[in-house]
Amino acid sequence: MAVQSDSGGKDDVKTQFVTREGTYRLMTLSEYSRPNRVGYTSGSGSTHVRVSLVSLPPGPAGGAPGSDGQGSDDRICFNHGKELYVYVYRGVKKAADLTKPVDKKMYKGTNPTCHDFNTVTITPESVSLIIGFSTGQIQLIDPIKKELSKLYNEERLIDKTRVTCIKWVPGSSNLFLSAHASGQLYVYNEELGCGATVPHYQLFKQGDGYSIHTCRTKSTRNPLYRWVIGAEGSCINEFAFSPCGANLAVVSQDGFLRVFHYDTMELIGRARSYFGGFLCVCWAPDGRYVVVGGEDDLVTVWSFGERRVVARGQGHRSWVSVVAFDPYVVSFAEPEHEVEEDKKSESVQCYRLGSVSQDTQLCLWDLTEDVLRPPVRARASAHLSPNSQNFSPNGIPGAKLPVKCTKTNKIGHKHAELSGNASGEPSGAKPVAKTKSNNVSTLNISVGKAKEETSGSLGVNFTQRLAGFSFGERRSDHRRNFSLTKPAEKSTTNTVALRGKSVTSDSFDPLKLIGTPSCPRFDECPVLEPLVCKKIAHERLTALLFRAEYLITACADGCVNTWARPAKAQNGDSRSRRSDRIDLVD
Amino acid sequence: MSICQDLGLNFQQRMGANISQLERDIGSEQFPPNEHYFGLVNFGNTCYSNSVLQALYFCRPFREKVLEYKAKNKRTKETLLTCLADLFYSIATQKKKVGSIAPKKFIARLRKEKEEFDNYMQQDAHEFLNFLINHINEIILAERNQSTLKLQKTDGTKEGVTCNGTLPQSQNSDPTWVHEIFQGTLTSETRCLNCETVSSKDEHFFDLQVDVDQNTSITHCLKCFSDTETLCNDNKFKCDNCSSYQEAQKRMRVKKLPLILALHLKRFKYMEQYNRHIKVSHRVVFPLELRLFNTIDVPQSDDAVNPDRLYDLVAVVVHCGSGPNRGHYISIVKSHGFWLLFDDDMVDKIDASAIEDFYGLTSDIQKSSETGYILFYQSRDASC
Repeated sequence: MAVQSDSGGKDDVKTQFVTREGTYRLMTLSEYSRPNRVGYTSGSGSTHVRVSLVSLPPGPAGGAPGSDGQGSDDRICFNHGKELYVYVYRGVKKAADLTKPVDKKMYKGTNPTCHDFNTVTITPESVSLIIGFSTGQIQLIDPIKKELSKLYNEERLIDKTRVTCIKWVPGSSNLFLSAHASGQLYVYNEELGCGATVPHYQLFKQGDGYSIHTCRTKSTRNPLYRWVIGAEGSCINEFAFSPCGANLAVVSQDGFLRVFHYDTMELIGRARSYFGGFLCVCWAPDGRYVVVGGEDDLVTVWSFGERRVVARGQGHRSWVSVVAFDPYVVSFAEPEHEVEEDKKSESVQCYRLGSVSQDTQLCLWDLTEDVLRPPVRARASAHLSPNSQNFSPNGIPGAKLPVKCTKTNKIGHKHAELSGNASGEPSGAKPVAKTKSNNVSTLNISVGKAKEETSGSLGVNFTQRLAGFSFGERRSDHRRNFSLTKPAEKSTTNTVALRGKSVTSDSFDPLKLIGTPSCPRFDECPVLEPLVCKKIAHERLTALLFRAEYLITACADGCVNTWARPAKAQNGDSRSRRSDRIDLVD
Repeated sequence: MSICQDLGLNFQQRMGANISQLERDIGSEQFPPNEHYFGLVNFGNTCYSNSVLQALYFCRPFREKVLEYKAKNKRTKETLLTCLADLFYSIATQKKKVGSIAPKKFIARLRKEKEEFDNYMQQDAHEFLNFLINHINEIILAERNQSTLKLQKTDGTKEGVTCNGTLPQSQNSDPTWVHEIFQGTLTSETRCLNCETVSSKDEHFFDLQVDVDQNTSITHCLKCFSDTETLCNDNKFKCDNCSSYQEAQKRMRVKKLPLILALHLKRFKYMEQYNRHIKVSHRVVFPLELRLFNTIDVPQSDDAVNPDRLYDLVAVVVHCGSGPNRGHYISIVKSHGFWLLFDDDMVDKIDASAIEDFYGLTSDIQKSSETGYILFYQSRDASC
């Protein structure tokens, strides 16, 4: 089986793990933390340890000043409790030097929660670091030059709640976005002031489940825009710009991923968690997939082109706190598992995804093109829906929808009607019968016929199913089911098109979204298993970054760890040589 | 020290300040109409009962049925159910919005009903819940039997809405409203490793008892609950097909999801080396919204309940302290969109983000903890 899950062994924290490209090793000397860490501390109130990493451009004299001739141009920033540290990051080759932080800050009455370096204005001698705080304020500093320090939302007139995510707008020297626990996202210009009064907003744009406001003042002030996203007061947990910078993916506590076109402020797609809030989000390096993780313990893959959930990853034992693609591992085209006979082709592409969770485990996932793309099976769609003549060619694998064409109301109206009937009745009265009818009818619509094709993998013959379960053939099982999702999606989008726009509140009802492309039923969607699943810390993991030579993880006790990638040369001796070298540094 | 707290020493002073504070916290405009937030006075280690009663009061379907029972049963002899109904009725009909109430009659009756509770010791809240639910159910069944014996011709009002006016065929097998609210069905599937025959057996439950692991989610704990288990050695399975004891694989899955899913986290583990129960304070996160992964899809069956049923967390009984026979119980409940903490006679509004304080501890260093112990999830299709 693919999972190498570590149950049992309580303090069995791994310091290495193996994938097919080789062995990843924890570089124990490259551990970053506060300078005088006093042993093991239980992480209360420091759950938001985040890591920002930046590479300074090479200066005229070679090494950047401030690097103390240590020969590294990388700077690492992380927060822990009330403290924030910036160090020279010396990668895997040299041990961390914790005695001389580039900058350190200690805050009173508030904790830093998130931060981001500006990569546009960066020079060998200066870098802008934007920091968000647990009480809503925002600070801009230059940890190298140290003369810069600006505060935004200082009087908390704009927002009083925790900054959950802060990032510079891609390619911008002065614009940044800050998301708050209040469910609002603000666009700031670092050059502008925040005014001395509570901002008066006026509606600028409105869409399904969100609205955007501007400040109504004579002189422009911060915030430039206020985005109100999702159910009232539901915390925005993270946002991420697409690699091209054009699109913005936002995940919230209301369980939604919403993808916007940033400039036009149009909502172009969304997904719903299986249950609970979505906590983290990232984009594939080519922008074709958005991956989210959340309180359903799942990693959910959403296709930007098809606007639907294409796969779910099950492997974590608790909430998923960070998801990140590894852009350096995409070339391993050959999938680990034997793909059914003729499907194996050279074009198979494979994304590598990483995730860390509150379960203290790191999972690596291979997202292979054969899973992500709907297999050729147009036949299946024909007998699934009475509206089949309306089918667009989207059902054909690989055909991508143009960016603008899909609108957001992808609710299954048939589901909507059924569960609408059910939920309209007074509570307590015969709930059993209600849900039964709901369930059965929806099944008939979305999977009914196709069920037979999968010959007993669903429901009908549970003997077989049980056998499959016990012997771990779930993966192939799920992949077979996968063909079902496509037709289901078609029937629902068509109905919507016929019936026009629905009531907004309806389109966010998770009871009506289940079984739609935004939130397929669990057995309607391929379920991936992790390639690697390792307990790598004592505390909840809170950060994960991939770099060319290493990956970085951080956990709630304020430890930032570096993992060396497998050696490029032959495995055996080069590996031992590498560890020798590390030993010598000390 | 927890005993002092339990005895409610100087609660009078705290009460006055806190209760008006609660109304201020909620705001008079926001205060839900027809809702009352009343703390329950502690009669000496009765917080196990207070916390469970508050949680049950805020399980709306349960509250409504209890009040309905109160309205329909004017003159019956005192049972634990009538005491509970009187207590709920008394809370629901208070003039004031907030305050505290003494569940005197209920506790007195409880001590009469069950010997184990007839003392001033700390009790296990889950044992109490289990007793209460089963006991109420038995009362309803007994009263139903009595009424059918007396008058066969009455139209069975006790079943009311559920049987559509027709007299049920077999009164006893017909579900009571307690069944309808809390009862789910588990299917245990056993596959004989000799003949490969799969046999399945259904069993009903009022709550699911799950083992807890460090740094996991309740979702994971529930999944483990359904993990395949191999029956071997002394624990072999009697296969009807083979007519002998055989090794077998067994797995439990949920066949029928209840309206209110009560999850008991098994936080008190018996440790042989200490010869007593030790509290397991592991951090187990529980989301505000839940679906189950370990359901079984039974198409075309009358028992089938939507396996995609979405649950909302409505109440949590929290254990504070270091062991089963010491410490304190409180409960947090959701009411009209906000969260309240009931600590005996005290009621406070809390922020939803404060719930994470009750997940547990990531290290074993600390002995005492405040941890979610019983979770009440209510099906969303029932809450409209």
